[in-house]
Amino acid sequence: MKVNTTRRDFFKVGAGAVAATSAVSANSNEGFSSIASGRSAAAPAGDAGNMIYRRFGRTDVHVSAIGVGGHHLGDVPTLDEAVQLVHEAVDAGITFFDNAWEYYNGKTETILGRALRDGRREKVFLMTKVCTHGRSGKLAMQMLEDSLRRYQTDHLDLWQIHGIVYDNDPELAYAKGGVLEAFDQAKKEGKVRFVGFTGHKDPAFHLRMLELGYPFDSVQMPLNPFDANFYSFEKHVLPEVNRRGMAALGMKSMGGTAWGMKAGVVQAEEMLRYAMSLPVATTICGMDSLDVLHQNLRVVRSFQPMTQGEMEALRVRCAPTAADGRFEPYKVSLRYDNPMTRMPHGFPFDHTQREVTEMLEKTDGPWLMPETTPETSRR
Amino acid sequence: MVDQHRQSEEPQATPEIERRSFIQAGLASAGTVLASSVLHSQIASAALPPQMTNSAAEQIPRRAFGKTGEQVSIMGLGGYHLGIVQSPDLAVRLVQEAVDAGVTFFDNAWEYNNHRSEEWMGLGLQGRRDKVFLMSKVCTHGRDKNVAMQQLEESLKRLGTDHLDLWQIHEVIYENDPDLHFAKGGVVEALDEAKKQGKVRFVGFTGHKSPAIHLKMLAHDYPFDSVQMPLNCFDATYRSFEQQVLPELQRRGIAALGMKSLGGDGQPIQYGVVRAEEALRYAMSLPVATTICGIDSLDVLRQNVGIARGFRPMSSQEMQALRERCRPSSGDGHLELFKTTKKYDGKVGREQHGYPPSEELPL
Repeated sequence: MKVNTTRRDFFKVGAGAVAATSAVSANSNEGFSSIASGRSAAAPAGDAGNMIYRRFGRTDVHVSAIGVGGHHLGDVPTLDEAVQLVHEAVDAGITFFDNAWEYYNGKTETILGRALRDGRREKVFLMTKVCTHGRSGKLAMQMLEDSLRRYQTDHLDLWQIHGIVYDNDPELAYAKGGVLEAFDQAKKEGKVRFVGFTGHKDPAFHLRMLELGYPFDSVQMPLNPFDANFYSFEKHVLPEVNRRGMAALGMKSMGGTAWGMKAGVVQAEEMLRYAMSLPVATTICGMDSLDVLHQNLRVVRSFQPMTQGEMEALRVRCAPTAADGRFEPYKVSLRYDNPMTRMPHGFPFDHTQREVTEMLEKTDGPWLMPETTPETSRR
Repeated sequence: MVDQHRQSEEPQATPEIERRSFIQAGLASAGTVLASSVLHSQIASAALPPQMTNSAAEQIPRRAFGKTGEQVSIMGLGGYHLGIVQSPDLAVRLVQEAVDAGVTFFDNAWEYNNHRSEEWMGLGLQGRRDKVFLMSKVCTHGRDKNVAMQQLEESLKRLGTDHLDLWQIHEVIYENDPDLHFAKGGVVEALDEAKKQGKVRFVGFTGHKSPAIHLKMLAHDYPFDSVQMPLNCFDATYRSFEQQVLPELQRRGIAALGMKSLGGDGQPIQYGVVRAEEALRYAMSLPVATTICGIDSLDVLRQNVGIARGFRPMSSQEMQALRERCRPSSGDGHLELFKTTKKYDGKVGREQHGYPPSEELPL
């Protein structure tokens, strides 16, 4: 709970622009990102000179303007390649690393822990997400121990509630004995430095989480030019997050799938540039190969924020195809909800979903973990 | 075009409605949840339903159609389902039996079932047209007013009448629909023209997707007489038309028309979350003019007529209890797939927007 609530002037540029227009861009590096020189003490030396670092909300910490998404680490064909991807990312100056307790039943946390041992842990800003999905703070603390063990570290830089995607998720998170009490405890015990929440479904759920008043340090959300036109986090949540001096973390800069690009509406590079031009601390990118990492690094190294005019033109270009939401499937289909988020809510599964089959096959998997016998989480 | 004074002359169209804070019991019971007041205050929007006439035991009650002075039956016959029954004979029989039972509100749309729904309803209404309040919907989906006027002629011809009591813009469900409808030369101009020509008496719009899109339509301050939307005990706690749109309609004195009282395809009933009767009673207990029901058999018709006859609204406590019961399963929208997926989005509308058919999407 001991977060610094002093309002810093870092977001003044962003906040002012938010007041003027709901869809704001960071059309200048000034005040937003600091190239190389402004990086945190944790930022790496060496080849990282061209990385961009931005301030993490109202804290004194800076993070790299792109982050490595944890889920896609599980899609890299071999462990060696995944480790190499992380090594190259760190060596290129990326400090922000995303993950979640439930991705691939813990595999991606284990991969990241393996890649960061031997001296790289200290160079990064390490995040993972807790996956109670409405269950207790006690369970959250057990998940935290799992994550720390897999990461081979004694603390996280950021711990976020994963997947606020259902109408009653805010109420469950704030319930007595819920996950927010675990946040307080974990911070007090020095096991996590900062806390936040994530979700891909509906700006209204994010706003309710904020409205209920917990002093989150960060909020993660989908941000892309389709989003700007449809159930928009950019319009409804981003200004509020910045007003409160929290760190905004963008994800799904490509729309969660490549459909918008396959349809020829947008290109990958402009999508990433758009997301990075918003007033966010970082943009988390799914990278399942070294090629994708290299491509993203190229975009970052030559990055100049889009102008307001460029951003508006891209939003306008995307508006006609964005209006039914099909290029943001996580908002308009229940099939993009992780079954591990559905299970604790008692929502029925879609058995045509690969993730459901995989989850149900793992009869000893953590998804079976009942509240009453928490020791079953220790596999 | 915009008749501003109509919006303001009667801010409370049905002044007999009492606003009650009937959620208090629910609040107390949710005391273990922090900040529950924030969550629950949003649910406390519904007022008591409008007063009913014709409410003797064997009759289907009627309610005021907004501030128009018209009255309509509290249960309406949905046009879509009429076009999927096995034979025109059965459709005709359904219409006739409904009219004879006291159902006056008849729903339809130009595009339903390749126009069969309008044709069969027209057959059923021969000799009974004057007993009903006949609605159809115009399906421009962004096209211009000439297309709308042509569709109106076709609807009139199929329905066998020279005028509609209500003509509504169909399926306002995409983010850019309000802009398209209110564009110069758009369908809203056709509403004006059709009224002037005496071919339609009242106008409105419909949609099943998002309260925000409905509110965007209303923000144009066009003098709509009615607005149709999904209203059911799951909607009450998920992307809620009941919370967000219904109070605004009451404020403006616009007739609210409920649909999808069983969640669109009866899934909540199959899952055993609610019973059909309580779901329908919940919808009919809201401050709406009518609740439109999809009816594809004489059994369903008789069941619904049975619920509507001598209808007594649920108490505020009963309604709150049902909302609380539904809330845990409403939160992901799987019982209201019309809001959360593309499954219910009509083919014609998607074509007109240049979108692929919903069944071709890997969603």
